[in-house]
Amino acid sequence: MATVGARRLGRRIVIHLLLVPFLIFALFPFYHMALTSLKQDKELYDRQAVPLLIRQGATLEHYAKLLWETEFLTWTKNSLLVTVLATTVSLVIGTAAAYALARLKFFGVGGIGTGIFVTYLVPTSLLFLPLAQVVNWLGLGDSKWALVVTYPTFLVPFCTWLLIGYFRTVPKEIEECAMVDGATRIQALWRIILPIAVPGLVCAALFAFTLSWNEFIYALTFTSSSEEITASVGITSELIRGDIYFWGSLMAGAVLGSVPIVVLYVFFLDYYVSGLTAGAVK
Amino acid sequence: MEHVSRRRFLTTATGLAGILAAGVSPARGQQRQVSYLCWNNFAPASDKKLAEIGQRFAKDTGIKLKIDHIAAPQQAAKYASEVQTQAGHDVVEMRMHFPWLYEPQLVDVSDLVAEMEKKYGAVIPSARETANVKGVWRAVPQYHAFFVAAYREDLFKKASLKTPDTWEDLYAVGKELKKMGHPIGIPISQNYDSISTAGPVLWAFGGMEVDKDGKTVRINSPATEQMVEWYRKIYRDCMEPEVLSWTDASNNESLQQGKAGWIHNPVSAYIVARNNKLPTADGINHHKSLAGQNGQRHETDAPRHIGIWKFSKNIEPSKEWIRYLLGKREVYDEYIMSGDAFNLPVYANLQDHPVLKTDPKFAALKQEGVQFHCYGWPAPASDKVQLITNSFILPNMLAKAVTGTSTKEVVAWADGEMKKIIAE
Amino acid sequence: MAIGGVRAVAAQAPASIRARLSVLLDRDRVLGPLFVSPALFLLLLLVAYPFCMAMYFSVSNAFIGRPSHLVGFVNFINLWKSDAFRQTFQNAFVFTGAAVACKIVLGLSLALLLNEQLWWKRAIRGAVLLPWVIPTALSTLGWWWMFNSLYSVVNWTGIAMGLMDPPGPNWLGQKYYAMTAVVLVNIWRGLPFFAITILAGLVAIPKELYEAAHADGAGTVARFWYVTLPLLKPVLAIVVLFSTIFTFSEFNIVFVLTHGGPVNSTHLFATLARQIGLESGRIGEGAAISLYLFPVLALVVYAQLRFVRKEVY
Repeated sequence: MATVGARRLGRRIVIHLLLVPFLIFALFPFYHMALTSLKQDKELYDRQAVPLLIRQGATLEHYAKLLWETEFLTWTKNSLLVTVLATTVSLVIGTAAAYALARLKFFGVGGIGTGIFVTYLVPTSLLFLPLAQVVNWLGLGDSKWALVVTYPTFLVPFCTWLLIGYFRTVPKEIEECAMVDGATRIQALWRIILPIAVPGLVCAALFAFTLSWNEFIYALTFTSSSEEITASVGITSELIRGDIYFWGSLMAGAVLGSVPIVVLYVFFLDYYVSGLTAGAVK
Repeated sequence: MEHVSRRRFLTTATGLAGILAAGVSPARGQQRQVSYLCWNNFAPASDKKLAEIGQRFAKDTGIKLKIDHIAAPQQAAKYASEVQTQAGHDVVEMRMHFPWLYEPQLVDVSDLVAEMEKKYGAVIPSARETANVKGVWRAVPQYHAFFVAAYREDLFKKASLKTPDTWEDLYAVGKELKKMGHPIGIPISQNYDSISTAGPVLWAFGGMEVDKDGKTVRINSPATEQMVEWYRKIYRDCMEPEVLSWTDASNNESLQQGKAGWIHNPVSAYIVARNNKLPTADGINHHKSLAGQNGQRHETDAPRHIGIWKFSKNIEPSKEWIRYLLGKREVYDEYIMSGDAFNLPVYANLQDHPVLKTDPKFAALKQEGVQFHCYGWPAPASDKVQLITNSFILPNMLAKAVTGTSTKEVVAWADGEMKKIIAE
Repeated sequence: MAIGGVRAVAAQAPASIRARLSVLLDRDRVLGPLFVSPALFLLLLLVAYPFCMAMYFSVSNAFIGRPSHLVGFVNFINLWKSDAFRQTFQNAFVFTGAAVACKIVLGLSLALLLNEQLWWKRAIRGAVLLPWVIPTALSTLGWWWMFNSLYSVVNWTGIAMGLMDPPGPNWLGQKYYAMTAVVLVNIWRGLPFFAITILAGLVAIPKELYEAAHADGAGTVARFWYVTLPLLKPVLAIVVLFSTIFTFSEFNIVFVLTHGGPVNSTHLFATLARQIGLESGRIGEGAAISLYLFPVLALVVYAQLRFVRKEVY
């Protein structure tokens, strides 16, 4: 018994050791960014300084500069607003479409499914210029609402695909039982299927949230005023002036710009994994 | 159709109600407004001063003014979408040869420029070449930021080196500097700083990329070969290989943290060092742009102009804004003074501006006898010439040369590439 | 069908609008299109229509702010004559091939590790996911700072550990190093997506299969080869598909780190399209460059979908 236990322990330790390089690879840039955001300017520019440590005293001046001297809080608020709304809209549209494509039989169901997926192939860098015209025609030029309307174009296909997979794992019998008991399709969806599908929904929501938060090209094109732009656009345009990069504040912006998502993921990670499980496998 | 904000809707609604009540024609009662898309100035203080001037303008004239800022790398995408949708801002910053690129979309502002020239003297040649497109002024010249030599005076003194006067002198000085551990820093990579040095060196040897007629490619010449040879020896004996991966900020940073002994850059490098109180700040100074063997001094210039989009519904108020900002001597001076000598006036009579006296290190920025040009000189900045610039053919040619390809081969390659673009 | 029929008959009785509507909505043929229409409408208006416009650009001589007219396939043909474009074409395949291959191997390994019983499971999984979560525009800047020839952390560490001679390679200024650098950053960013998705697939494999294999005498490697891999194929196919699409149309990493250089050796379709389409105003050519992506992607998608259909159904 003791040897088996020891072997198991040994195996565990080896596994954790093997994880170390991956963790270093993943986390080191963050460590470096965080460090840079806390270093004083004179140490940042010191050629002889050790890049891995703070030797000349940490400072919060870059964070202060970012928070108080730029419109960072407004931009973050915009990013949050756009992301939450775009995610919600995409989730609703995606769920409806996914349910229809997974469960219902109607004209063109196969073709539409493929069609929705194919739109994923079109890169945003190709679309943004003609899309600007459509956005303008809708009266949404220079507004974060333009983003709420355009972000679903790349969020809906993925959400739909994921949720189709997820819905397929829910046995048909559950719905059919409910309907025999007198429920309509819509009631069955709302009361029975969706509660079961919560992990899938959370997974899709997280993915949509991430993609939305990180988006750059559309945000740059469809918003200009300081009150409308999102965090990534604001940070890169305000803190890079010609050939001067305000590295300390830029890195502070990177750190603060990831905080909301990290918080979300820490809380919902289990849902994310289990949501992908059913969706991806099928 | 524009996005109507709630506030504007209410203002308009009450305005309309008032008009209907008073029986006055609508045009008189409508709020005039201007929106201005400006770049993120090197000097944040200048942006603040601009906002201040803008507020005074709004108070004095009753025209509502909105100023938005954008970073230089993002301008191309932004302007393209405004032009494509025929909607956006009224007044936009036109950097260097943008007026040529967007010519059909810009209002003719010859009247405004005539007023400025009457007050301040003729527009300097580099600004004229870029803002005046085929005889018509498409943007009003505002200021310019030019390149100059920034060097470590303290190191020069320590080694008893004389400040160089020609590009050849630079080679001799550079060799010594590299031995001292403070090499020269001239980028040779796919960025605009590289073109900004390659250009003057080429012009100093009497060479050019495309001729005045805008059609004949003249890169295949003995002058180019001499320029390539010069770069080869400078790279080998005076610089380090890192310059092949530099961006626009790298030479600044190299000088600021004490590595480079000499760089070619606008005054931004020194300003940041001074403002951040870096140890190198005291040792940095500037000297006049270098001359070629023929005594002629050519230098890269980055003038910035203000243009008005044709699709704007507020052209007259826009012109008033430009008049307010640039037309009044005190205001113009105020604006320039806030810029810490990054941006200097582009009119003949304003060349020796008081801002140069705010810091002894700015003395060399007077640049007497220096001819300023923009990329692609002497060819007019047509689309094809701009495409040649944006494809970084010149720096790529140099990068190939300094990493081993023969001079004849790289010049022939550059020639081929440029001819292909012109021929399209 | 039978159940639907029973429902329809039973609900025939009340003639109110609400009840009629409710019957109508219960039929697949009505509900289906209704549910799908928001998605379709969105995508038609905001993707299909602009896409057609982009296609028009590519076969015209569109230039910013000037009237354009059709010129046929001239743009596509002319691009082949350009040195920069041919280099970009090659770069795109090298970049995508290298990045995706590494992500498959590393992603699979990481997923296998994460599937084990771990201490601090949540923290580790969260940490691994981080690179994918941070906004790309900002994380790429962080990497630029790291590769920065003057302050390069990478070189400093390499020199300190004795792996490199000072001053260390010029990562972003030398041809092959630059490509390595951008591939590395792409892997850093894309690995979490691979790892977590494959992990989800691993979690779904029933333990009984492993136990059965073990009972049949299969060792660890054999179990992996004969049980894990085949069951992972559908997941792998999907992940590789999505990742290939994302990687092929990569823009931000190259734009920030190397701007396409040195001497065009890291230009990808998206970055070259921007240089020619936007910065020089030639929208038509820019669109043509971007559209070159399409056939390749379509081929990849087609291959993957057939493969997935075959394996799953």
